[in-house]
Amino acid sequence: MCSCWLAGMSCGVVDEEEFCRCCQLLLQHSDGVGDGWSWEAVRGSDEGYLKKTLLRSVPAGRGVPQKHKEPGSDSEQFDYCHLQTEEPDIEEEDDGVCGAPAGSSSVLQYEYHILYSCSYRTPVLYFRASTLEGRSLTLEDVWRSVHPNYRLGLQSRPLDAITQQEHPFLGQAFFYLHPCRTEEFMKPLLQMARDQNRFNPAHLGPVSERRLSVNSE
Amino acid sequence: MADDKDVLRDVWFGRIPTCFTLNPDEVTEREAEPYYLLLPRVSYLPLVTDKVKKHFLKVMRTEDVEEMWFEHEGTPLKWHYPIGVLFDFHASNTVLPWSITVHFKNFPDVDLLHCPTNSMVEAHFMSSIKEADALKHKSQVVNDMQKKDHKQLWMGLQNDKFDQFWAMNRKLMEYPTEEGGFRYIPFRIYQTTNDRPFIQRLFRPVSTEGNPHTLFDLLKEMCPDALTKDGEENRFQVVIHGIEPLLETPLQWLSEHLSHPDNFLHICIIPAPTD
Repeated sequence: MCSCWLAGMSCGVVDEEEFCRCCQLLLQHSDGVGDGWSWEAVRGSDEGYLKKTLLRSVPAGRGVPQKHKEPGSDSEQFDYCHLQTEEPDIEEEDDGVCGAPAGSSSVLQYEYHILYSCSYRTPVLYFRASTLEGRSLTLEDVWRSVHPNYRLGLQSRPLDAITQQEHPFLGQAFFYLHPCRTEEFMKPLLQMARDQNRFNPAHLGPVSERRLSVNSE
Repeated sequence: MADDKDVLRDVWFGRIPTCFTLNPDEVTEREAEPYYLLLPRVSYLPLVTDKVKKHFLKVMRTEDVEEMWFEHEGTPLKWHYPIGVLFDFHASNTVLPWSITVHFKNFPDVDLLHCPTNSMVEAHFMSSIKEADALKHKSQVVNDMQKKDHKQLWMGLQNDKFDQFWAMNRKLMEYPTEEGGFRYIPFRIYQTTNDRPFIQRLFRPVSTEGNPHTLFDLLKEMCPDALTKDGEENRFQVVIHGIEPLLETPLQWLSEHLSHPDNFLHICIIPAPTD
């Protein structure tokens, strides 16, 4: 984890130049371990953001998004506890690979974007998820897949923490972690990063350790 | 010369005559009549279209009804933009009334945010106010307000109560006299010629030499292509609340008087009409 970013997180404010510098560092590390982060430049300006897309296999019947009109179907019973007690497979490298046996799981595509907010002087996280057929996950589906450690902290004011927002560069619907909650949300993450030398925004996906081994400086 | 406070009232009470028509592909039990409504420029579509929904639900079977959404000439309308901005951007130079098509199926969930309740609109509105104050006052004014004060801002908007709204909003429009203005101006520029939905960056109301920045200065910095070069014809119009303010207008004044209730100055750059 970029130390400058960590430093920024702890005092809450990072300026845009620092953000870009940290992103470049993160990208170098990411490239080194094939971790899939890329920099998306915004045409006609010097702005840009970090992006990562990944595919996750989810056990069959769980966490599969349902249309708003069909409540109470089996898929609503997202058994998070089951996933939580599974041993995280540290060796699992499922970047872009659906490793589950055929017929036993569904695949979700997650996209993470890290942008700089000049209003709040801090990086902000935008993300979205969909099935491979293109059906978008709802906020409920997303909440169900948030790790309990993080869910507790956010549940006090869930509407404030993760909401739908228009992506400032793409104009499309994304979920967004409110900057006021970033520090609260990031604390357990940063602790983990310090302990394990990793940066993992994919805590928002099902529980499986991700190898985003960006070294702490 | 009009009193500055009159400007606040004119902005608040601006209306757009609109004609809502049901999407011809919706399954109906009988033909639906169009529905006419005067929409407040400063409000949001979900807040003012309950009657529209009721009107069209009368001709539909409940099983065919999903989340309602609106579209103008094929473009889905973003409910989280103020109504006046949507009109100025999409339909400024078209014939009135504004034609909006109503849909109850095939919600375009990549382009549009879901809006199941008024709480969603409130959350979005308050989030904009907080962001604007982060820019103007490092969030000090909005954070000093009590929860009931925040509620007053929202209720003022929701119930179209100018006095109730401004009793609280005036605090968000104050600044230390020695500063000459806000820290940064909350604004968004919408351009038809741009891929990105809007431009929003840091911009101070006063230059380092102490001169007030104007609308022209802002546009020069953010979208110089929108400005007419000497000897050229006007290719673009710069529209705020349906009017073209003089480019020499001080930005601080615009921010205090022509902002939307969300405390942002929403500026549309549209092609000038060719007639």
